[in-house]
Amino acid sequence: MSCHVAQEHAAGRPSLLTLRAHPLRIALVGQPNVGKSVVFGWLTGRYVTVSNYPGTTVAVTKGRALIGAEVCDVIDTPGVNALEGTLSEDERIARQVLAAGEADVVVQVADARNLRRALMLTSQIAAFGKPTVLVLNMIDEAWARGVAIDARQLSAILAIPVIETVATEGRGLQELRDALPGAAVPCAPVSKTSAERALWAHELTERVRRVSTISRAYVQEALARAMRRPLTGLPILAAVLYALYLFVGVFGAQTLVRLLEDGVFGRGVNPAAIWLCNRFIPIPFVRDFLVGQYGLITMGVTYAIAIVLPVVATFFLMFGFLEDSGYIPRLAIFCDRIFRVMGLNGKAVLPMVLGLGCDTMATMTTRILGTPKERLIAILLLALGIPCSAQLATILGILGGISFAALATLFGVVLGQMFLVGWLAARVLKGERSEFIMELPPIRWPKIGNLLTKTRLRIWWYLGEAVPLFLVGTVLLFGLDRVGALIWISRAGRPIVTGLLGLPPATAQILVMGFLRRDYGAAGLFQLAHTGQLTGVQAVVALTVMTLFVPCVANFLMMVRERGLKVGFALLAVITPVAIFTGAGLNYVLHALGVQF
Amino acid sequence: MFSTHLVFSSDGVRPLSSLARGEGGTVVDTARSDPHRRDRLLALGVTPGARVTMLQTFPGIVFLCDQTELAIERAVAEAILVRPGEGHR
Repeated sequence: MSCHVAQEHAAGRPSLLTLRAHPLRIALVGQPNVGKSVVFGWLTGRYVTVSNYPGTTVAVTKGRALIGAEVCDVIDTPGVNALEGTLSEDERIARQVLAAGEADVVVQVADARNLRRALMLTSQIAAFGKPTVLVLNMIDEAWARGVAIDARQLSAILAIPVIETVATEGRGLQELRDALPGAAVPCAPVSKTSAERALWAHELTERVRRVSTISRAYVQEALARAMRRPLTGLPILAAVLYALYLFVGVFGAQTLVRLLEDGVFGRGVNPAAIWLCNRFIPIPFVRDFLVGQYGLITMGVTYAIAIVLPVVATFFLMFGFLEDSGYIPRLAIFCDRIFRVMGLNGKAVLPMVLGLGCDTMATMTTRILGTPKERLIAILLLALGIPCSAQLATILGILGGISFAALATLFGVVLGQMFLVGWLAARVLKGERSEFIMELPPIRWPKIGNLLTKTRLRIWWYLGEAVPLFLVGTVLLFGLDRVGALIWISRAGRPIVTGLLGLPPATAQILVMGFLRRDYGAAGLFQLAHTGQLTGVQAVVALTVMTLFVPCVANFLMMVRERGLKVGFALLAVITPVAIFTGAGLNYVLHALGVQF
Repeated sequence: MFSTHLVFSSDGVRPLSSLARGEGGTVVDTARSDPHRRDRLLALGVTPGARVTMLQTFPGIVFLCDQTELAIERAVAEAILVRPGEGHR
């Protein structure tokens, strides 16, 4: 009945054997967190970040795959709950792929446990009139929960191939390749209201799906329960944070850093480099450029590799584990009420926690939030208060060595500032807050292979992104030092740096460099603290100011890209004074109270 | 809006937010007065006929709808009408 129109479309569908002006383009579309990126990886051999929470992919990724004898373009899209109605920014990006004719064939990837929701989406995909294949992914988890689907009957009713897969293990993916030529426009009600389509999806699900009462996922279910209930959930959160502190703050920031900074660089690399330079380079200027006080090797490379890398690496590993376990979204339940005061809802916990990895990436992830106002507040709070992994590294490295009270003061002040600024922003900015409606992904034991691949790629990304900036920063410092500008900066900054903030004059240049990258500035503080030039109070004040600064040039550029130049500068104009005056206030209070740390 | 509640309540239909932990039921209607909210819920599988079980009510409401675990704020839970009955197992 409703399929006649659809079938006419199907008659003109592109066959895999015809000649085309461009390669056949296959778009992977589906609900968030159903495994589109895993399927993409198997088809193309390209890795895109895979995690266990909705919103890991917020932009379109393209790759090549060999299907049969033909090279095809495969497009990975952000997850969508709907393709029509009010859409979030990432949903609009996915819709664009279908609407703009960027795809010839659609592979709808679905979570086999949630057939009803998948079919709702199928009916919306059908409206675009593209040949489609339905993939019921995670069929093993569905079986474990007592869900069985008659794929053959479903395929007959929808008139499209329906393939069952376990994408993380590669099961069913050859069948998917084989089924692609048979793709057809789904036989689903297109021109009806969402309520009517919901009814269709419900009835069809009842026909082809059987749910028994037997579930074999006891452990996961018990864990999921413990994580979301306050009585067990809060102790678990404390334990997770403590484990993070032990692994990143103690093992990474202290043990590994000491090994690399004092051992490998202090006794090996740097003395060797200095010896080589003294021996073979007769020009003092070049020698200083490489191994002097602001030397490319003795400062730039040492900062990046010895001080920041170990912490970034340990953090990415632990963070990847948490991402893949499905734990992070459950924090949203606890955060919802607090976030509401700041004009956000619990869902904002995802970009906020991701910001601990990298604020730049997290700024992009704010696309999953419902309204422009929420996105702006989240971007502001990310830039203001969330320290990225590299910066966390230096904070933990410096303050972890001083006292727990110092660490608590810093985080207390920063969180308080975020809360205050968020509260104000929620009142000053125009716009709406969206309602808190969020899906919680299942709890899973992370796959070691994915965890290692992801961590490795992130470390490479760090090396490619941060190290060049560290080197540029060092060259800049070297240049400024040579023309005597450093002394000038220190002098000009004195009223603020030594006056308001009570810091040694040398920190002025470090704060300036903090604009380039917060962690680069923090690494400078690390060395000052290491050589005993900072008192406990000074370290806390300097790090608080640095934490509140805009994270780095890359983050600033991302803010501009996502929200425009005007908003970018406006954010900068809010954040910088907040950072300096908070530091000044903190300095005053700590001295008035006679705190020593 | 109040009248809807009254009409349904005589039928044994209650807002989802009134279910206690562990109680189950079947969705009868979702957010009739707010099309945007309704579409979001439908897309997540909160459709008439879907089976629900309340998992927790504090600090936020978490319920199982079909095979999906959903966390929602109270205002949304008040707009979902369910007929109490058998939940999941």
